[in-house]
Amino acid sequence: MKPRKTLTIAFFVFLLGIGYLSMHSAPVLSDDNYSYHGETQWRTDFSEAEELASEQDRPIVVYFWTTWCTYCEDYNQYVYSDSEVQAELDDFVKVAVNLDSDEGEFGRLKQQYNANYPPQHVIITPEGEQLVKISGYADREAFLEYLAEAEREYDAGDDQ
Amino acid sequence: MNVGNVLLATAFVVLLAATGILVRAYLSDDDRYLGHVTTLTGAAAVVLVGALVQLTYQFVVTDYSNAYVWNNTADYLPLLYRVTGVYAGNEGSILLWAALTALVAFAAGVVRGFPDRHSKLVHAITSGVVTYFVGMLLLQSPFASIRTEFANAPPGFVPTSGQGLNPLLVDPYMAIHPPVMFVSYALLTMPFAIGAAHFVSLFRGDGSVFATWRGSITRWLRVSWLFLTVAVALGGFWSYTVLGWGGIWAWDPVETAILVPWLFLTATVHAVVRYRPNGEYRILAPAMTATVFALAIYTTSIVRSGTFRSVHSFADDGIGISFLVLMVLTGVLGVVVPLAYWFLQDGEAASSDGTWLTRDNFLHAAVLLFGLLTFVSLWGLSFPVLRGAVTGVEVSVESHYFNLWSYPLVAAALLLLGFYMDFDVEGRRRSRIGLAVFGTATVAAAFVAPSEIWQLSPSPPTESAVYGVLGSVRVLSILPAAAYAILGVTKRALARVPATADRGAMFKETGITAIHVGAVLLVLSLPFMYMFAGQASAMATGVTSESVDTSYQDVAGTDYSVRVLDYSSKEFPQDPDPESYALSTDQVAARGPSLNGTVQAVYGTVTDVREGSQATVIQLDGSRTWVGVVQRNGTSGDVSVQAGQDLIARGRLMWNFVPNADATVLASPQTIGSPTNPPEGVVPTRVRADGVSLAVYEDGELVTSGVAGQREYPQQGGLEVRDVLVDRGLVTDTYVIAGVSDGTASMTVKQVPLMSLLRLSIVLLVAGMSVVLVFDPEHGVRTLTGSSASSTDAEPEATD
Repeated sequence: MKPRKTLTIAFFVFLLGIGYLSMHSAPVLSDDNYSYHGETQWRTDFSEAEELASEQDRPIVVYFWTTWCTYCEDYNQYVYSDSEVQAELDDFVKVAVNLDSDEGEFGRLKQQYNANYPPQHVIITPEGEQLVKISGYADREAFLEYLAEAEREYDAGDDQ
Repeated sequence: MNVGNVLLATAFVVLLAATGILVRAYLSDDDRYLGHVTTLTGAAAVVLVGALVQLTYQFVVTDYSNAYVWNNTADYLPLLYRVTGVYAGNEGSILLWAALTALVAFAAGVVRGFPDRHSKLVHAITSGVVTYFVGMLLLQSPFASIRTEFANAPPGFVPTSGQGLNPLLVDPYMAIHPPVMFVSYALLTMPFAIGAAHFVSLFRGDGSVFATWRGSITRWLRVSWLFLTVAVALGGFWSYTVLGWGGIWAWDPVETAILVPWLFLTATVHAVVRYRPNGEYRILAPAMTATVFALAIYTTSIVRSGTFRSVHSFADDGIGISFLVLMVLTGVLGVVVPLAYWFLQDGEAASSDGTWLTRDNFLHAAVLLFGLLTFVSLWGLSFPVLRGAVTGVEVSVESHYFNLWSYPLVAAALLLLGFYMDFDVEGRRRSRIGLAVFGTATVAAAFVAPSEIWQLSPSPPTESAVYGVLGSVRVLSILPAAAYAILGVTKRALARVPATADRGAMFKETGITAIHVGAVLLVLSLPFMYMFAGQASAMATGVTSESVDTSYQDVAGTDYSVRVLDYSSKEFPQDPDPESYALSTDQVAARGPSLNGTVQAVYGTVTDVREGSQATVIQLDGSRTWVGVVQRNGTSGDVSVQAGQDLIARGRLMWNFVPNADATVLASPQTIGSPTNPPEGVVPTRVRADGVSLAVYEDGELVTSGVAGQREYPQQGGLEVRDVLVDRGLVTDTYVIAGVSDGTASMTVKQVPLMSLLRLSIVLLVAGMSVVLVFDPEHGVRTLTGSSASSTDAEPEATD
């Protein structure tokens, strides 16, 4: 076979290979009910989360993210993949809001908590009252501290 | 209809006529009216530039009767950023693009004329593209009236203040990046037209177009390549200084969208070199030429049509549909037609004899490698959209995807470059030894080299085995590959440059050397910049406007310490002109009873003051607009206003409230003031800038000092933009981010290695490209001035 032809065939083999492999091994970000960040799983239906939160008397943490935000990747890599963070987060009902989407209640939540750039976290009571807001990136320690503060405020609110 | 829309409509009609004449002249091979075409395209270019000037003028004087101006600027912005507003949204960008393309079409017509039938088709296509752009503008005009934003507003209504410019665009790099990019895209129209005309002509049995245009196509491609390179670099430098964008390159959709045409253009520039009218690349080179512009349109469509609604896609509206249609049109002409021709033909003429090691084969491999790199970026941009649309499952494309696939291709390209250059000088036998040595070193470095921190991606996001292998590749492997490439390039330059007799040829060789060395340095610096960037933080408390704690703060885990020297907090606009927030008495009179019951701020000179029992009434400018100042407790109280002073008052405006006055503004002592001291709440704060002057020390030695902080835009959703302090060092940049709130400054000190190498690489690329563009003895711009264009191009080069 002639070299040029061989090279061209190799080109197409590579091209199809890259195309197929990458599309099928791309990490799933969200499906019908959840979106996935690091090793954590977040709800996307806010009403369901609200119900669950008031049923179980737990605060809600709302995470505003986008597919292209580099600090969200840092969250995935350094914060959500940490087991201590995961354990702490289990005390909350987790909801993730894709800032690029206006589906369901996303639009309203963005407005209500004035979230207009990623990443941001808002921790709220099941009634929607804001406890703590984390604007931008917080590293593992700072993030844990914010969670603890939110829990303290939530408990203080309960006692009154 | 306003001036701007009249200009656009005129340009549309004129262009339609020019395109019509050209199409008719081509189809019926009849030159009637053809003499008018240059006049028409010239007129269209003038009119479109006029429209652009008109829009720019409206921005400079902040004419808010134009909705687009109102949406994209505000009075407090300095002149440079008011001009930037022109291309902050889709409409203005397309006007800029259209005007530049019209200039290109006109210039091409003047330089080239219409010597043969093909040239009519080529010019018909370029003029058709401009017509389409202007048609898009007629559908969604940058000159739309403000009343499209306020459906119920009365005629003559003009807001006093604009919405402001997207804060991310308030940056010097962003003021020049878009025009440079659109110049490049406009220049790409010509290669597209020639490539598309070539295949249309072949299908009609009219013979090749490409051969006659080869020289000019090379020039068009090179000059757009130069501009596109500058545009990509400017975009990268912008994102480097804008915090949160992930440094110089983060594979953001918009970044990828401009990289795709750049990569493919690079491939095309290489392919066109080896075009032979009856031999190699007789299909591929024209096809690639036509495809570059189609790719630029495709990526622009994906980004601008709202498929990716990142904050980065500055504009998002109905123009998307027109873009999608344009995408289909250019896709058919630039991709489908050439492909169809290729399928119907027997393929490329046999040119090689089965020998692998020939320059032609290397070049072909280089073109294919660039093709693959283009595909990686293009696919990364496209497949999440495709998969999302088909299955509803959202998948992520992170930088991992682009980095992992691009890295081996780039390493292969470096080895190929080294081999090609070495082969040219040393011949087959010795160059093979070189390849064996450096190739082995590259592979060895990729898998055997130092610790895990050298890995391309220690924890790829998925379990996929392929990603696992690619991710474990050590970046050290870039060193032998880059060294090989630089050695090869230098060796060839040393052998060739002194041997050339012709000055032009010598410049060309030097330029090509600079481009290749620049490219190697670029890909060498990028991975290290990301992998070995370090950062750490420090906090300083007690930072207030009264006093600042200037003690040294250690940056944990580093040799750095920082001192906060000063703190400043500023609000903008400062001392704004009353026109920018209040109505004049003339404006009140013009807008009439429609103002009744609304809360307004008015300004004017006091001409009469009358004390009443319940209120003090004040006449402004001797007009029928009065201000009534009422005390809280209903008495007239003590209002110290004298005739002759300038007054600003805010309150509910009542029409025909009292006799002898048309308009009465019901104010209180708290809501009146002077232009130097306007009442609270009348002038909204647009920008709140907090900054600290700080000094950074390493081992006690001063490294850099300057101001860093944040700008907050309360009127624009509270968006925050950081102003960073960057100290450009020879080996590493010191990059300081500071955030100030509630008396605490939190500072992050980053070290970014090899930025200077990257800057040098860009300079080499741009300089090399310019030299080749101008001095190439065969197709350089200089050849145009010496002898006429047609004489250099008319003869297809049958041999090299």
